[in-house]
Amino acid sequence: MIDILSGVQSTAAALDAERTRLDVIAENIANANTTHGPDGKPYQRQMVVFESALKQAMNGSQIPTLQVAGIEKDTKPFEMVYEPGNPDANSQGMVAMPNVNIHEEMADMISAERAFEANLAVVKNSRAMALQVLSIGKH
Amino acid sequence: MIPISSIQPLMQSYGVTPGEGIAPSLPVTPAEQPGALAPAQPPGDSFSTMLGNMIAEVNSKQVTAANTVNNLQGGGNVSLHQAVIAMEEANVSFQLMVEVRNKLLDSYQELMRMQV
Repeated sequence: MIDILSGVQSTAAALDAERTRLDVIAENIANANTTHGPDGKPYQRQMVVFESALKQAMNGSQIPTLQVAGIEKDTKPFEMVYEPGNPDANSQGMVAMPNVNIHEEMADMISAERAFEANLAVVKNSRAMALQVLSIGKH
Repeated sequence: MIPISSIQPLMQSYGVTPGEGIAPSLPVTPAEQPGALAPAQPPGDSFSTMLGNMIAEVNSKQVTAANTVNNLQGGGNVSLHQAVIAMEEANVSFQLMVEVRNKLLDSYQELMRMQV
């Protein structure tokens, strides 16, 4: 198989990974006020861990890419809020809120979006370079 | 200096009988170093098979792109950027094929315009 857009394999993997990161951030923001989940505990913030990997190309060579190593739970303590009317309040009237900081999530979202954008720029430039090469000899 | 005889099999593969443009009685002068060009062409691997392979590859890229888009629209496990990248790859390889075809046609027409 001819490799028309070289380097795009690793970029595609990075785009996949950033997409997963954005999905996890969306889950965190959506559950920022969830005081009990299926296990009865408040929602625990999740984060994505990336790792580099080697992918087998069709011509047998190894392409350096990356993949999502796993989605880990943040072990930060829950924030305790005084809210006696809440059904999840304890005997002192304190409710454990998820350890999600919405400002942190927004900053993470910007960083994920910028990383996505950078990878898209790589695809765009790779395509532009291929087309420029094809116009050699034209006037 | 490219020997004219090397173009004849190519012309035959495109249905052009040599002799209309090139007089058969005309002695074809061999190149200065006959051994310099001969090893560059492995036997049995003609330009038309190479072009055929290329067209097949471009076609398979188009099919892959179409399948990816179909998968995306059908709710398959395909992300948007994968579909767009597959389409771009198909597009660029198609343009490469068109460029090769244009060059081939140009050189053929150049040969046809040649005065003998």
